[in-house]
Amino acid sequence: MNDSQARKFQKDLNGGLVALVLLAVLDRTTDDLYGYEIAKRLQKANEGEALFKEGTIYPVLRALSASGYLTSRIVPSYSGPPRRYYRITDEGRALLAQWSGIWRQTRDFVDRFIEGTAP
Amino acid sequence: MSCPAPRSIDEYLRQLRAVLADEDPALIQDALYDAEEYLRAEVAAHPDKSEADVLELIASTYGAPDEVAAAYRETEIQVKAALRSPVRPQTASPGALTRFFAVYSDPRAYTSLFFMLLTLATGVIYFTFAVTGLALSAGLSILIIGLPLFLVFIGMTRVIALGEGRLLEAVTGERMPRRPVHPGAPTSFWARIVAMITDPRTWTTLAYFLLMLPLGVTYFVMAVVGLSLGLSLLAVPFIAVADHFGAFESWHHIQPGPPDLGPDFLNGPVGYALCGVVGVLLLTGLMHLARGVGRVHARVAKSLLVTHSL
Repeated sequence: MNDSQARKFQKDLNGGLVALVLLAVLDRTTDDLYGYEIAKRLQKANEGEALFKEGTIYPVLRALSASGYLTSRIVPSYSGPPRRYYRITDEGRALLAQWSGIWRQTRDFVDRFIEGTAP
Repeated sequence: MSCPAPRSIDEYLRQLRAVLADEDPALIQDALYDAEEYLRAEVAAHPDKSEADVLELIASTYGAPDEVAAAYRETEIQVKAALRSPVRPQTASPGALTRFFAVYSDPRAYTSLFFMLLTLATGVIYFTFAVTGLALSAGLSILIIGLPLFLVFIGMTRVIALGEGRLLEAVTGERMPRRPVHPGAPTSFWARIVAMITDPRTWTTLAYFLLMLPLGVTYFVMAVVGLSLGLSLLAVPFIAVADHFGAFESWHHIQPGPPDLGPDFLNGPVGYALCGVVGVLLLTGLMHLARGVGRVHARVAKSLLVTHSL
């Protein structure tokens, strides 16, 4: 299979998944996290080649925050610009619960065909 | 990718800026801010490697400048689409009269009118702040406290400029920065002061603060005169009708008789109705004016408060 086709498929899949993963990461932790920390957690959990570039999570974090699913606060940093720490809100948790349900349903549905267990 | 792989943070940011050149300056400011946060944190996390070594791997972790730029463009489009209220499908092209009165269903017209009333207060505050800050910094510059005072003053102008941008985006919908401009790599105290003084944005921001006093007074007067004149003209026919049915019988020691419009030919049903019509036209015109002022003001503010030549 052609490499650019693979990349395009991955990118189409990632459309909503990045937001789902970010909500899940922030839901699992008790600390507030800033963009770089979140990126590193994703990198650590990922084996082999990254599914998405870490630069793509920042605009998604910003969009989730603008829609009220995350709150943020700014903390000065010595290494660069002040860091924006994110925390999930109750709306974000509700959204995560809903999206997780959709994700499981989709995954099971797709698997049924790929594994060949569908009637 | 067409450009060579960046070898330093500054080079990466320059390339990202170049790829985003056609985008909204506010989006560019946000994207550069995020990239700088990541890159500096990444360099700080690998003290054993040089900046060039860290940057070498950036394309596979953070993403190359064009990939990151694409992510910002896409998210911006999605967020804009999600936040925009759905456009009602238009059955027929609306007539001029419908379009004239449609301004009442545009929330921007109300928020802009509110903004025009608010600018008297913000204009006075900004003007006072700018003049006081400049005068104190200049006056005390011969003493040792003049310099820190100037730095605090410039720092505060940036915070206020960001806040004014957020207010204008809420009022007019014009995209404004959501992050401050980062001063760049930590440099010496003196280099920062020189950068602040030579940055044209410092001076355009101060010019905006000074300009806000005359503009604020003008906007406020336009809004108050338009509202009071329009509402009182609109009230004339209602008062005349109420008077006709004797609503003011017991008040006649204060205002004897029906409204007095001066010339005789106006003092009758036709004149009163005319007043009502003029009142409605005036108020509608004011709403159009407010919306226009909001739009133009946001553009002016953007050109003075947001850096274009980053």
